[in-house]
Amino acid sequence: MGMFILRRTGVMLLTAICLTFIVFLMTNLYPNLEKLAKNEGNFRMSDAEVASFLGNRGYTQGKLQNYGEWLGVLPGYVIEGIDGKTRGRCSNHGAIVENTGKYCGVIQGNWGFSSRFKEPVSKIVAKRLALTGKLMFWVLAVMIPSALIIGIMAGMREGSRLDRALSTGAIVTTATPEYVSGVIFIAVFTSSAVGLKWFKGSATSAMDHATLENFLLPVLTIALYGMGYIARMTRASMAEVMTAQYIRTARLKGVSFANIVLKHALRNALIAPFTVIMLQIPWLLNGVVIVEVLFNFKGFGWVLVQAASNNDIDLLLAVSVVSVVVVLLTQLISDIGYVFLNPRIRIT
Amino acid sequence: MTKNNSFMHPAAEMYASEEKAGKLDRREFISRATALGVSTVAAYGLLGLDAPAEAGGHAKMGGTIRMQMDVKAMKDPRTHDWTQISIFSAGWLEYLVEYNSDGSFKPMLLSSWEANADATQYVLKIREGVKWNNGDDFTADDVARNIIGWCDKGLEGNSMAGRMASLVDEATGKAREGAVVAVDSSTVHLNLLQPDITIVPGMADYPAQIVHKSFTVETMVSNPIGTGFMLPENLEVGVKASIVKNEGFEWWGYAAGKGGYIDRIEFIDYGSDPATHMAGFESEEFDLNWETTGEFVELYDALGLVKSQVASGATIVVRPNQGHAPYDNKMVRQALAMAVDNEILNELGNAGLGVAADNCHVGPMHPEHNPDVTRAPFNPGKAKELMDASGHGDFEHELRSLDTGFWKDTCDAVAAQLRDAGIKVKRTLMPGSTFWNDWTKFPYSATNWNHRPLGTQVLGLAYKSGEAWNEFAWSNAEFDGLLAEANSLANADERRVVMGKIQALVIEEGVTCQPYWRLVQRHHVEGLVGVDMHIAYLPQIYKWGHAV
Amino acid sequence: MQNLTWTGTLGVYINPFFLTALSAFFVFAVSAAARGFSRLDGRNLLNPTPPSIALLGPTAVIGLVLWLLSLTGLPPFAMLGLGNITLSLVVCLIIGLATGFGLFQISSELIFRLVWSTFYVALCLFLIYFIVGLFVAPETAGIVGAISKQLTPTWIALLVTFAVSIYFKRSLGLYGKLFDSPIGMIGLGLVLFWVFTALLGAGFDLIATHDPLGQVSGMKNKHPGIPLRGAEANDYPYYLFGGDTLARDVFSRAIVGSGIVIVIAPAATVFAFMIGITLGLPAGYFGGRLDTVLSFLSNMVLAFPVILLFFLLVTPEIIESGLPNYLAVILFVFPVIFIAVAQFSKNRLKPNFLTLKFPVIMIITIWLYLSLISETGKTIALLPPLLDLFDVPSEILVVFVSVVFVNSPTVFRIVRGLTLDVKTRDYVAAAQTRGEGPWYIMLWEILPNVRGPLIVDFCLRIGYATILLGTLGFFGLGLESESPDWGTTINAGRKLLSVYLAPPLVPAFALMSLVLGLNLLADGLREESLRD
Repeated sequence: MGMFILRRTGVMLLTAICLTFIVFLMTNLYPNLEKLAKNEGNFRMSDAEVASFLGNRGYTQGKLQNYGEWLGVLPGYVIEGIDGKTRGRCSNHGAIVENTGKYCGVIQGNWGFSSRFKEPVSKIVAKRLALTGKLMFWVLAVMIPSALIIGIMAGMREGSRLDRALSTGAIVTTATPEYVSGVIFIAVFTSSAVGLKWFKGSATSAMDHATLENFLLPVLTIALYGMGYIARMTRASMAEVMTAQYIRTARLKGVSFANIVLKHALRNALIAPFTVIMLQIPWLLNGVVIVEVLFNFKGFGWVLVQAASNNDIDLLLAVSVVSVVVVLLTQLISDIGYVFLNPRIRIT
Repeated sequence: MTKNNSFMHPAAEMYASEEKAGKLDRREFISRATALGVSTVAAYGLLGLDAPAEAGGHAKMGGTIRMQMDVKAMKDPRTHDWTQISIFSAGWLEYLVEYNSDGSFKPMLLSSWEANADATQYVLKIREGVKWNNGDDFTADDVARNIIGWCDKGLEGNSMAGRMASLVDEATGKAREGAVVAVDSSTVHLNLLQPDITIVPGMADYPAQIVHKSFTVETMVSNPIGTGFMLPENLEVGVKASIVKNEGFEWWGYAAGKGGYIDRIEFIDYGSDPATHMAGFESEEFDLNWETTGEFVELYDALGLVKSQVASGATIVVRPNQGHAPYDNKMVRQALAMAVDNEILNELGNAGLGVAADNCHVGPMHPEHNPDVTRAPFNPGKAKELMDASGHGDFEHELRSLDTGFWKDTCDAVAAQLRDAGIKVKRTLMPGSTFWNDWTKFPYSATNWNHRPLGTQVLGLAYKSGEAWNEFAWSNAEFDGLLAEANSLANADERRVVMGKIQALVIEEGVTCQPYWRLVQRHHVEGLVGVDMHIAYLPQIYKWGHAV
Repeated sequence: MQNLTWTGTLGVYINPFFLTALSAFFVFAVSAAARGFSRLDGRNLLNPTPPSIALLGPTAVIGLVLWLLSLTGLPPFAMLGLGNITLSLVVCLIIGLATGFGLFQISSELIFRLVWSTFYVALCLFLIYFIVGLFVAPETAGIVGAISKQLTPTWIALLVTFAVSIYFKRSLGLYGKLFDSPIGMIGLGLVLFWVFTALLGAGFDLIATHDPLGQVSGMKNKHPGIPLRGAEANDYPYYLFGGDTLARDVFSRAIVGSGIVIVIAPAATVFAFMIGITLGLPAGYFGGRLDTVLSFLSNMVLAFPVILLFFLLVTPEIIESGLPNYLAVILFVFPVIFIAVAQFSKNRLKPNFLTLKFPVIMIITIWLYLSLISETGKTIALLPPLLDLFDVPSEILVVFVSVVFVNSPTVFRIVRGLTLDVKTRDYVAAAQTRGEGPWYIMLWEILPNVRGPLIVDFCLRIGYATILLGTLGFFGLGLESESPDWGTTINAGRKLLSVYLAPPLVPAFALMSLVLGLNLLADGLREESLRD
């Protein structure tokens, strides 16, 4: 088991390094660097000014050199620019500050400096991740219990009318992407045209204090899309368990149906959904980005959009690292959990 | 202001007679007379009227105002490219002169100014008793240093250099020797290279904030030294920012009766999507928005919000860039302008919130506008003929614009009309973050231009050969000559003659399609005073307050 | 001219019945659902649920729903609020318990019969608008009827397809079996509806009433059924779904937009499958280092959040750099390889094949490939303009490439897994003993035997590709702003959503119904193929 986790962690590191390198290459394409320079300097700079701006700040040293600096395996540049000022990577691309180390990369725990927000990347990511964490917590709190209940109820009597109705409902929610359901929710529950106005169409105030009124719609929008899929997996797994020999025996013994479902079937039926739920978490990121844009909730998804559209290299790299780690970590947890839930499987 | 009252520029008296004879409208008169150093009271007096009372008279001290606004990163005021940046720093950085929605110029850190007869020499008088918030006295040296700083063309993106062009030495890119002189502790003399009536309006524009001698960009927020009555509290780019009253600081404006009511202003960023703004307004997450556009005017009215609206010279240009083929061909440009009906663009692109314009970027709100010169008539058939005759009949134009608001709508409407005329177009939408990177360089795109007090100002910034903001890539010696001539003429009739030629030239060359002048407006909740929409979006936060 | 109402003059007679049937259906459906959570009787007589547990269901469902409604403070439910949250909860739960108890007095058979009968009555009444609408003027049958009339070509095509398919269903294999499953049939119906609408509406322009890009003065932000201002004799006199913020016809945009979706999504899925199959088969069959490398690569792409990839890939800067074109060169070569290997491995021993048929096939394929990737005057211009059959606009290409890129690793994983499973079967061993080459075995022995799950996944994946396309449109990435595709239209329309519902909701429901159809179709196919 220890070996297994170790190996997976190794693969995870390798993947993260490869992916960040790709992101790094893409953000360092010259048109993208030009975008960065103009965003940071002034949007009216001439081509020569852009070139000197980038040169002064070490962007044109060569991709591998820059990537090494970001990683922290190479010392951060110190360049005396054509404008006479000396700048260094370890001083946030600004005038040299004393007492900064020679190396200032990820390995040293320095995630860089955001050109869009003028703040250390680690601070931005931590803050925004916490907000998205709040959103995700509620999404999972709504999505998992309801998906499991729907799936179990549909699966305990396969083919029944209840099963048909719930399964169709589940298919409908998987067919409704967030940008559709979000728009419909806003139209129905917040618009003056329909006039219900039960909830708020903006979740900005939910960043400070979330209430049912300002947080329900964003949470529901994300939860619905994932819910159908998990419910269907649960249903399939439940239906399979219910046909197993030991359930049939229990029934014939006269154990009540509720007891069969709750005591005998449930544990085995939950193994598959557990894996699915863990694998579903990275997919929720899509929904998070859409919903955060739709409801103006400034979390991780919003940072992703901001970083990408402003070509904020350091921030974008941190965002990709976080996303990749989330994806791989959930995979790992799902594999390990699978072993714990299902004693018949051994991983060596 | 005693000096102001005693001084009466000869041209101002002439303007007054023109106003009375109906040649100038009142706003134009006030605008021009005050630009020459006549006080507002005196200017109204010349017309035999009383000056309007200061707004904000019914405000009470204290309170918080929350405003929806893009929160952008701070930079050197001279390089400000968004008024949203200036409104935050306006908490502690002030202006020498302010421009008001009625067209008048009022002294702020100056107490008065006067120009000589041909507008080549200005005497600026510094307001007495102004202090920096670190305790230093505010002196003529501060003013001179700032003006010299404005003239520095070497600073990447310094747009003040263009406004101070008549003080700049072309060779060095700095202020000319002897152009800016601090005569004594309260007087500064400006010696201009050529007559320039735009220099005082230039000082009232949003990047012209006055900074302390210890100013650096890095420390401007952490160590905010200024003359204003507020201080920055926090700034989170893209999220929110706030400024709070500088308790204990004796701001000069309290004694001068300027206001300075509010304790705290919060700016909350809702991104560029007006639907989100509306959701925020409906959820009562802010009291005041930055600007209301298009359909949202009606919607906000319906929400019971108070509208503050002002007719401005703000506009949009849907322009070809002559540096790119086929737009170097005059016939192509004329065809593009001729194929669209400006009235329809106003209706579809601007929700009808404006008045149709004549494709020459000078309009009735400018003193020197010549109403006799109008656009080439709308004629899609002729446009197609011209396009075919130019040999580019099959060329597919790519019209770029921002992805929201009237930019997008107007360009979509332009594209639809061009297609109706038989001209091929495709549309490309770009988010603000990428669009503004190259806005001057796109072959065919749309840009909005803010209001400027005088008609020659925007022409000087955007149409003069070689200017940084000349997005038309238009270079025309005849135009440059006419513009220089107009800038030296104080007399309205003479100037209007020259302006007529300029307008005709711009239209004839098909430089741009400039379809409408916008009404600009914002909305706020009941009970706020002094937060009115400014004709040029200038920050006058000292007027803001809660009603008594 | 008057605004069209939804149901026209006909509605005056039918609407009361329709609405009654519909509301009865909802009431019965809710009761049946609450009843279904906790049946005391019914088929499962062996271990009946004790009443104590059975009553929990309706109590919880009805009680909590009432309680939530009371929290919203709406007029009829506000009185349940009682000024105290806890008290209100107790009261609501008691009401729920009472209702549940009442429900047990009705037999479950009766209540289900009521649900279905009201449902069918409502459906039939609704269909009247559709059918009558085909033959009368728009004013009589309202917007619903008029739309039904505009869709006449689609209805005819659908009817013919269904009639022919059902008649011959026994000889149509898996496709024919679909007509035994109601779910599958509904799914197929929805999918075919959009396919025909796209083909006849966007392809042949038989359905749309106006130019999807045309703007008409005075039609900006108008509600559905608005008469066209200044209509001439040959103009359609109404904007059936109203005008959007640029005075364009919402109905026509949705119809023409279906064309874009119906072409790009399946085509991108086909490419993703070709890539996934070409790489997945050998990875699973040979295993070893090849498998390790390919799996690592695919896991890497999968570890990348889709949305981040889109934001990195589909930007003007990246398009400018030509990266999507290079990616296209790599990705689109796989179908060529696939065709070449498939043909070669099967037919190489046949006479004339290597000298005549194979070169011809390959020349055509490669020509198509080169036409696809090379664009005159752009980054990659391999073909002279004369030979270049078609130019794909770069913004469509980049959208296409990204959707393919995102989907192919998943397909790779599925194919690899299936191959691993199937390669130990007897018929594979038999083929190996026969001395067949590995590619022959993979493509002609293994692949046909795993087609079932692949077809199911193919349907689901088209739906997913449709959603991805919409996501791109939603973020304003890729396609032009004026493009009538659904994602872009939803994004444009949501700005004024609180007042003008039609512009975003029409494409939203269109997209939803297509994806729903694909999901149902996949479900039907899965069920029918399992039954084999």
